[in-house]
Amino acid sequence: MLTITNLHAKIDEKSILKGVNLQINPGEVHAIMGPNGSGKSTLASILAGKADYEVTEGTVEFEGQDLLELDPEERAAEGLFLAFQYPVEIPGVTNTYFLRTALNNVRKHRGLPELTMSEFTKHIKSKVEMMELPSSLLSRSVNEGFSGGEKKRNEIFQMAVLEPKLCVLDETDSGLDIDALKVVSHGVNSLRSPERAVLVITHYQRLLDYIRPDFVHVLIGGKIVKSGGPELALELEANGYSLIEGELAVAA
Amino acid sequence: MAPILMESSPFASHFADLKPLLEITGPAWLQSARERGFHEFEAVGVPTTRDEEFKYLPLRPLTEWKLAPAHGATLDRQQVAKLTLGEIDAITLTFINGQFAPEVSTDDLLPDGVFVLPFEDAFLAMPETFEKWLGKVATTSQKLGTTNDDRFIALNTAFLQDGAFVYVPKNTKIVRPIHLQFVSDASVSPIAIHPRVLVVLEDHAEAVILESHVGQTGQYFTNPVTEVVLGAGAQLEHVRYQDETDSAVHIGNFAVHQSENSVLNSIVAQFGSAIARLDATVWVGGSNAETWLNGASVGRGHQRIDNHTRIDHALPHCQSFEVYKTILDDHAHGVFNGKIFVYQDAQKTDAKQTNQGLLLSPTAELDTKPQLEIFADDVKCTHGATVGQLREDALFYLRARGIPKKEAEALLVYAFAAEVFEKISEPSIQAAIEARLFQKLA
Repeated sequence: MLTITNLHAKIDEKSILKGVNLQINPGEVHAIMGPNGSGKSTLASILAGKADYEVTEGTVEFEGQDLLELDPEERAAEGLFLAFQYPVEIPGVTNTYFLRTALNNVRKHRGLPELTMSEFTKHIKSKVEMMELPSSLLSRSVNEGFSGGEKKRNEIFQMAVLEPKLCVLDETDSGLDIDALKVVSHGVNSLRSPERAVLVITHYQRLLDYIRPDFVHVLIGGKIVKSGGPELALELEANGYSLIEGELAVAA
Repeated sequence: MAPILMESSPFASHFADLKPLLEITGPAWLQSARERGFHEFEAVGVPTTRDEEFKYLPLRPLTEWKLAPAHGATLDRQQVAKLTLGEIDAITLTFINGQFAPEVSTDDLLPDGVFVLPFEDAFLAMPETFEKWLGKVATTSQKLGTTNDDRFIALNTAFLQDGAFVYVPKNTKIVRPIHLQFVSDASVSPIAIHPRVLVVLEDHAEAVILESHVGQTGQYFTNPVTEVVLGAGAQLEHVRYQDETDSAVHIGNFAVHQSENSVLNSIVAQFGSAIARLDATVWVGGSNAETWLNGASVGRGHQRIDNHTRIDHALPHCQSFEVYKTILDDHAHGVFNGKIFVYQDAQKTDAKQTNQGLLLSPTAELDTKPQLEIFADDVKCTHGATVGQLREDALFYLRARGIPKKEAEALLVYAFAAEVFEKISEPSIQAAIEARLFQKLA
């Protein structure tokens, strides 16, 4: 589904990704872990198409297409979804209007008819309940005045509504208390299917107790330095990143 | 001292021509008010950009257009509906080129003591109220400020003939909105129109008023003046919708007198005109009053849109909240000047002014000037002005959810202004204005 090959990227002349390789197949859940500044969020932003980064080398293929050639809206329409680390507040645009506009654009791209307001309301009903979103949040402006937990739940809610092929979660666990973490994880798990893949980007192992990954990768200094199964996350939790950083230093 | 000789304005001949007609319209005191207004205007004439209050507003069309006094015009219901906000269920008075047009107005049975009338009837129905308030609200004489300039109000008074009168007695609430619509049609030649509105809400009265200014065709100058009196505890929501033709000059005044515990919710939409100016002026003359001034303007092409606001906090414990937004594209030029005067007695005043501009083209320009003059020592007054482009982070967020760039931009521009119109409590008016906003931006 997603193939990242030798990806190099920089921002303002500062090199951040230095040769990332990653293969994600349908049905798989991958986790990328790493210390602050290792390039985790940069990778997420590049996948979603944020313009601030310059890819200097390498390729990203998504469902057989050159992902880097697509506009952000085309990537979303093709089925890539990024749950933002810092969801953006948009005063004056109601959550419902925004989401229906997004869904209908995505549907149009997929050759499906647009949903009327009542069809849309039906489509989102169970998802609103699953994410435990108060209905008042739907009629409010996008993310405006939402608590940290509400913003993250809103991200996963949008993901559930748009039904993407690949879900990328950028530090979705940051700033969440344990209850919100459970709601968010439940939302993500309910989306797991043989056709859909998930990429969880996180600093901490905590989230992975709830969203069990098939593969764990460690990103340090702009490169994936170690990959393994879920046990690797536990190992990192016990020993911290310094042990791996030490191993790398010895190897060098 | 030798008298200063001044060239007379283009309005001098109008005044001479119309005098016989004006003299027989309304009570006698009105004619002397007209004379005073005329002389007050002629003493200063059409302003130039050297006049502080008109610094960014070139008004050459007023002298170059060879304006004629307004003449009668006839428009049918369909034509009017196309120009105005459409189907709004309201008590409606329509004026075409300043003259009351009963055929496109409604004839409603109103609660006891409530009047929604053209001036001709109001002169007879409530002569005392009329005389008590007309011209007393829209004036800055005796008020603070060194650049006070009432010349267009004076000009309006000089030609005062027809207009809309709204009266709501004590403890009466009118549920249905009142729609005062002013339609201009200059299909024959450029004309000058001077519409007038007087609204009096007695103590604890409540009303929602929509005031529309729209145009059918042609070059014209319209100079509407609205005066509003709010008694103690009275509540008024006033929506002012301006969508004149794109070659019109609109210079409007909206002046309010607030008594204690009264609440004013003013929402202004400025979409039309080649040159549009509005002075929204509030005299807060009672304690514990609340003033909300909201405005959103959209300028494209070579439009000039100038909003001046002025709040006089004369008494203590009052609050005012002001949000004015301007969207400018192409070569449009916008002005915002927001004056707040806090008088010596007005302790515990809480005044907040926000002014935001959105520039969609590198050739658009917005000049903004907050002007706070505070003579009391225990007050809270803040102002903030921002001018910018669309937010990149918001744009990316929308696109990352599958909304194409152009649609995402349009949505953000719309949202920027729509936030102002969310302050309208009457859903049909809000929806109609938002629909027009959407068209205007498309």
